[in-house]
Amino acid sequence: MARKVAVVAGGHSKFGKRYDATMRELCAEAYKPIYDEGITQDKIDASVLSYAASQFTGQGAGSALIADYIGLHEKPHLRVESACTTGTASLRAAWGMVAAGLYDVMLVLGVEQMNRVSSATATEYMSQAGDMRWEYPFGISFPAFYALMASKYMAEYNMSHDTLAQISVKSHHYGAQNPKAHLPKEVSFEEANNAVPICRPLNLYDCSLITDGAAAVVIAAEDRVKEFTDRPMWIRGIGAGASEMMIQDRPSLTSIPGAKRASKAAFEMAGLGPEDMNMVQVHDCFTIAELIAYEDIGIVEPGKGPEFVENKEMYHDGRMPVNIDGGLKSKGHPLGATGISMTYEIMKQMRGEAENQSRQIKDVKYGLAHNVGQSGQFVNVFIFERGF
Amino acid sequence: MAEKKELYLGYSTDKAITPFYQEFLEALDQDKLMKSVCTQCSTEFLPPRQHCQKCLSECKLEEFTEREAKLHSFVIVEFAPESLSSKAPYVVAIGEFPSGRRLTAHITNLMSMPEVGMPLKLGFEHIDDKKLSYKWLV
Ligand SMILES: CC(C)(COP(=O)(O)OP(=O)(O)OC[C@H]1O[C@@H](n2cnc3c(N)ncnc32)[C@H](O)[C@@H]1OP(=O)(O)O)[C@@H](O)C(=O)NCCC(=O)NCCS
Ligand SMILES: [Zn+2]
Repeated sequence: MARKVAVVAGGHSKFGKRYDATMRELCAEAYKPIYDEGITQDKIDASVLSYAASQFTGQGAGSALIADYIGLHEKPHLRVESACTTGTASLRAAWGMVAAGLYDVMLVLGVEQMNRVSSATATEYMSQAGDMRWEYPFGISFPAFYALMASKYMAEYNMSHDTLAQISVKSHHYGAQNPKAHLPKEVSFEEANNAVPICRPLNLYDCSLITDGAAAVVIAAEDRVKEFTDRPMWIRGIGAGASEMMIQDRPSLTSIPGAKRASKAAFEMAGLGPEDMNMVQVHDCFTIAELIAYEDIGIVEPGKGPEFVENKEMYHDGRMPVNIDGGLKSKGHPLGATGISMTYEIMKQMRGEAENQSRQIKDVKYGLAHNVGQSGQFVNVFIFERGF
Repeated sequence: MAEKKELYLGYSTDKAITPFYQEFLEALDQDKLMKSVCTQCSTEFLPPRQHCQKCLSECKLEEFTEREAKLHSFVIVEFAPESLSSKAPYVVAIGEFPSGRRLTAHITNLMSMPEVGMPLKLGFEHIDDKKLSYKWLV
């Protein structure tokens, strides 16, 4: 029987265009608050570095560099890579090691430094996560993969772009209240609906940001949790799913099969359902991705996402608060840090410590993180439970 | 077989050419689109794979003859990856053939907004003497 594992502490850098830092300084910024809480290097058995795309930095062997920089160079470490789901893939790997008894206490640190290259270069690197032989030659960027889903969704459910703009407005509304966010500003519906096209039907305000940032959590085995906190957040369910490599081969473009599988597995493991969640963090790399996530997780039936948006049910006081930290859209999306940042946010909300109390969700007992890699080739869903 | 030319698909200069893929490109140079068929279980793949996804046996290339398709989905890329910046805007489309096989390529002759479900025809293009492509036409 696996041991229970809890998240006992977390740290988060400021997200943004961080020309004042590179990946190592960002990692130190994310670990520092954890260190200050007393979880010093000697208390950590091993670490996992979540670092998705070394093309951006040129730095190989990232976990060696980071472990050394933050003083964990004598402890075992490794790097995990699974595109945008690297964060929760790292958490999943670390959970396995702790649950199995290999280690008791692990640091999971996610980081990405993306702004030392131009947006066109960044778009180029990310497009290389498509099939290099059959997709890349046609210049299918990340926004393009999701635009393919958006076109299909709009045609199949007769949805207009208005729905997507409403999601963006919500994300920016909460991002504006998050001091850690990359683009903390409100956006009007008109601005969001009529912004410059990036990959039509998606425009600038449908896209997540190209962000530098880091986030960290410490996980511990059940019998060690009390040494670190009296406010643990238990990892109650983990589901992972996968989908076809080429987007053309997916049975449907209006849902991500791997996300459905991951959600189902996570709920089964937790013995809970979508209706039990008090908040969810979804992978809104594009507004259409958030819409599809509502349906894949099972918050609403297929095709009912637009109605959910129309009724503002995803606001902090709505039926199911979604991305009340601003999400990837407004908080930002430093690839490797994103899944850890979601975990951090749920922990803060459970503790009643939402950064900027104006966006505190009432009484969070269960929270879900939905983290998608590439256009759905990898998906991890975590269900967390308040342990106090 | 013709003398080996250096050939690339689409707008890329992907150097990761294998003999199998080279054969595909040489056929494309003759305006033939090849699928692959598993020599053991007869499963077909488009685009082709050298190894069968089901039984991992070798596949052989055979000509794919369907020409008419329907637009499964599309995107108009305005902000392109660096390597294609000079081509933007361009339209990437997934077309679905009556057999259910799908293919991803550019639509090169659009005069109005594409619509999911609209008919497409498969075409071929010699971008320059090295770069070849299959493409969608409306
Ligand atoms: C959409 C995108 C190409 C825009 O990049 P860009 O045009 O180079 O933008 P810049 O960095 O030059 O910024 C120009 C302006 O747009 C704003 N901006 C940039 N990206 C933005 C976004 N996604 N949403 C809203 N505003 C954005 C900037 O703040 C800046 O505003 P300012 O002029 O008021 O200062 C880029 O944000 C992008 O590629 N996003 C998707 C990232 C992605 O694919 N991630 C992986 C997904 S899984
Ligand atoms: Zn076979």
